[in-house]
Amino acid sequence: MTAVTMDMAAAPPRKRMSEEMFWAIALIVPYVVVFAFFVVYPVGYGFWLGSGAASFKKLFQDPIFVTTLWNTAIFVLVAVNLKMVVALGLSAFFILEFRWIRWLSVVFILAWAMPSIPSILSIRWMFNPEWGMVNNLLFKWFQIEGPGWLTERHYGLMLAILVHIWKSLPFWTLILVAARLAIPRDLYESADVDGATRWQRFRFITWPAMRAPYLTSVLLSSIWTLGDFNSIYLLTGGGPNDSTQVLATLGVRYLRIDQFDVGMAAVICAMPAILPMVFFLMKRLSKVDEA
Amino acid sequence: MKRALALALASAVAFGAATAQAQEKITVWFTKAFYPSEDKALQDAIAKFKAKTGVDVELSLFSPEDIVTKSVSAVEAGTPPDVGFGLTYDFRVTGKWAFEGKLEDITDVIEPLKAQYLEGPLSTTLLMNGKTGKKAYYAAPVELQLMHINYWVDMLQDAGFQESDVPEDWKGFWDFWCDKVQGALRKKGQRVFGVGHPASIQASDTVYSFHMYMNAYNVKVVDDDGKLLLDQGDNKANFAKAIGDYASVVSRGCSPASSVNWGDVDNNLNFANKTTVLTHNATISIAAAQMDAMNKAENTAEQRATAKTNYFEKIRTRAFPNKPDGGKTPQLAAVKTAVIFADAKNKKRAKEFLAFFLTEENLQPYVEGSLGRWVPVTRKAIEAPFWTDGKDPHRAQVIKQLNEGTVYFPFTKNWKFTVVNAENVWGRATARVAKEGVKPDVAAEDAIKRIKEILAQ
Amino acid sequence: MTVTRFLERLPLYLVGLAVALWTLLPIYHLLIIALSPPDKAVAGDIIPQAVTLQNFVTILGSRHNLVQNFWTQLWNSTLIAVVTAVLTLVVGIGANFSISRLRLPGGRIVTNIALLTYLIPAAFLALPMYRTMGQYGFLDKPWSMIFAMVTLAAPYAIWVMNQASAKLPYELDEAARIDGATPLQILRFVYLPLMAPTMVAIGIYALLLAWNEYLYAFLMLSTERQLTLAPALGIFLAFDDAPWALMMAAGALYALPPTLVYYLFRRYMVGGLTAGAVKG
Repeated sequence: MTAVTMDMAAAPPRKRMSEEMFWAIALIVPYVVVFAFFVVYPVGYGFWLGSGAASFKKLFQDPIFVTTLWNTAIFVLVAVNLKMVVALGLSAFFILEFRWIRWLSVVFILAWAMPSIPSILSIRWMFNPEWGMVNNLLFKWFQIEGPGWLTERHYGLMLAILVHIWKSLPFWTLILVAARLAIPRDLYESADVDGATRWQRFRFITWPAMRAPYLTSVLLSSIWTLGDFNSIYLLTGGGPNDSTQVLATLGVRYLRIDQFDVGMAAVICAMPAILPMVFFLMKRLSKVDEA
Repeated sequence: MKRALALALASAVAFGAATAQAQEKITVWFTKAFYPSEDKALQDAIAKFKAKTGVDVELSLFSPEDIVTKSVSAVEAGTPPDVGFGLTYDFRVTGKWAFEGKLEDITDVIEPLKAQYLEGPLSTTLLMNGKTGKKAYYAAPVELQLMHINYWVDMLQDAGFQESDVPEDWKGFWDFWCDKVQGALRKKGQRVFGVGHPASIQASDTVYSFHMYMNAYNVKVVDDDGKLLLDQGDNKANFAKAIGDYASVVSRGCSPASSVNWGDVDNNLNFANKTTVLTHNATISIAAAQMDAMNKAENTAEQRATAKTNYFEKIRTRAFPNKPDGGKTPQLAAVKTAVIFADAKNKKRAKEFLAFFLTEENLQPYVEGSLGRWVPVTRKAIEAPFWTDGKDPHRAQVIKQLNEGTVYFPFTKNWKFTVVNAENVWGRATARVAKEGVKPDVAAEDAIKRIKEILAQ
Repeated sequence: MTVTRFLERLPLYLVGLAVALWTLLPIYHLLIIALSPPDKAVAGDIIPQAVTLQNFVTILGSRHNLVQNFWTQLWNSTLIAVVTAVLTLVVGIGANFSISRLRLPGGRIVTNIALLTYLIPAAFLALPMYRTMGQYGFLDKPWSMIFAMVTLAAPYAIWVMNQASAKLPYELDEAARIDGATPLQILRFVYLPLMAPTMVAIGIYALLLAWNEYLYAFLMLSTERQLTLAPALGIFLAFDDAPWALMMAAGALYALPPTLVYYLFRRYMVGGLTAGAVKG
């Protein structure tokens, strides 16, 4: 890309500047219109609605608010880190050149390609405490009464984290596979010549090369995980007793109880967590863009 | 070329603003019925209205839960339908909407129909508008529900008991199902529960049933002017007792663990699957589902026969047991209401439609289409053979309970209780006791604090 | 294969087995419920007691209260997904061509601002977006979904296109200009042919995004005949005759098209979509 940039600097003055300029503007107008009408206006309007002191007072008074913040923190921290570490490990597995592994990768991606609603509801019924397959088999095989997977807060959160990972692990594995493939082979070959252990190969070759994409992925995934509505809503519905709500589901919860402004206040509350990550990411990503 | 593009852009921007309306129409949102017969009665009424007025009716049907979310958002966005009828409007939003001026005054629709209505139901729709400071009819009663208890006669017998063994006193009643019936069936190796006890905050059944418990413990939530009484005198202690008692059914393991996360249909489902021997439920929908199944053409003859036996022999509908102090537990009635929104586009026609739909000849088939799940709010329909011919055990029980007299929910006295209900402060209190081991008096204290916060908002 | 070699590779096989089980178990569970007779849907066995195609027949023939509008809803899902894909491409191509080929001054800023949308979780945009769709009068019309989905897909599209088009030598454009080509001709004859693989990836991405979306569809569409399949499936949960088998069968039918599309275009997808995120 450096080459292109230099090229531009050296580009001869254009004759039909005005026409080019016209098209440059005309072609970007559709996106600008979309952005203005469906991002700038709604966000501005929503923030305006939710920014009244009364809305925040209602939000902070709500007995479930603190639990929700905790849940969100646990959900994001555990889900993202667990997912990314597993993805990092699996990426080493999926770059191996066996035919069966290639086929397996095709199967693996299924979770990501499928829509959420059927797959998450399937998991929800699998774990239904009374008649789900899991507890039924526990009862049948071991005569034990399985736990209330969806009726205890910690199990519910744990399952929601697993569902989230189930759904998005293939995507991140794919990203990290691509990152691994970009590491030059000869580095490993010379490491082998020097008699490096597996750990040393990872520590001194793989990780230095993977660190940057891994961190970018962690950041991006944190933001998206923070906004994961389906994994909670379709699995536990935020229950029991609103004990598994997260910020992403709180908006709809307030809509249900006719308090739109409090819902917007909840969204605004997530902003201090998101914005630093967003700005950091934008910096990283646009660096890539221009590098 | 430039000009053509500019034109295209301009029209793209303007797009969506103009969709010409050839025919006059109104938008109507209803709750999707459980049974096809009910939906059909509604469609018929709409067809007749169309034929009579030439006005097109655009009907949307939603699940009982979704219609609240959708309506709330639509009202919020300033784009409500013209007419709305939601099964949970009454205890979650109607009063609030009326107070905030979001509903159209439909006194002129109600006035001519006044004579046909039963008095009690109509009184619940005379609502305060905070903007005008006056009360008026902001909603129309469509149908009502009472609280019932259903149990499986065959499962009871399987446990070694007869129906005459069921105690009528409050504590004895619940202990009977919890300990004796469940215990006996568990001994036989059955993975069943004595009681299906809705205890989640998302189920409206929890709100209804918990209010029955409050009635049983003589808890007065508000006075007739809507002033909070919950924190006064014996009320507080009784409130804590009701919470503790309600929670104990779950914490003793008499109700499926999932009941703390049930939606409105789950007590029906678990009962139908025979996971629970008994359940309490608003409406007789549990029996009505069997009635629906026994008449369904696509069911096999065997399935229809089973449903028929279930309906007439195996499923019993009864009232709640007597209060702990021995008196009759007051019957709670909830009146389901239809509204016209203040921001509706075509209020004139909306009123015409509502007036048309509410006449006996349209309303009665609609209510009867629900196979007894919903009870009429009009004088004529309640005396129809459908209810009074004595051939139907479940409907006869409904009429019996109705005739014993009913009371209404606190939210009919103070609209802010719709917010309390929507948030389900009741369910939260009982769930905290059942799931988190909080002491009932602490849960009661916190619930009262929360209610006061909401009343102050 | 010798025993020692097998043992050497055993850990690999175990990982493979774990991955396969982990991925397939929920899908298998979905399928056995879909294939069960309605009253045996929740039997909770690993091997179903009975298998039937009855549920699929019921759905395809619209023979149940809840699937009356299955074909209409399938059509709605398709329409919304396809139009979203096309519009995303149109908007994305316009913006990308303007920014990276016509070098619109300040174009970088547009990309960066667009990226901001991409980075804010969709669930948080849903409420304000819903509200304004109401004001525009788009609620309960396909346009609400289409515009929402284009809004969510376009930033990523523009970004991936920027990455891809940066690899196209600018000399090509220059050469065309010297031959007297207008910007539109450059777009048509130079840019589009070279960008085709990326376009396929972006198009499919937008298509799948719109097809799979639940939250926005649930909020913005209402009428049964306007619903897409995702919220239509959600309605099943509120009915007391437990139509789980029917619902899972409908879910399987709903999951089939995106899965097929994904596999058909997998080659483009992986390269096209991961291009951006890998670096950095």
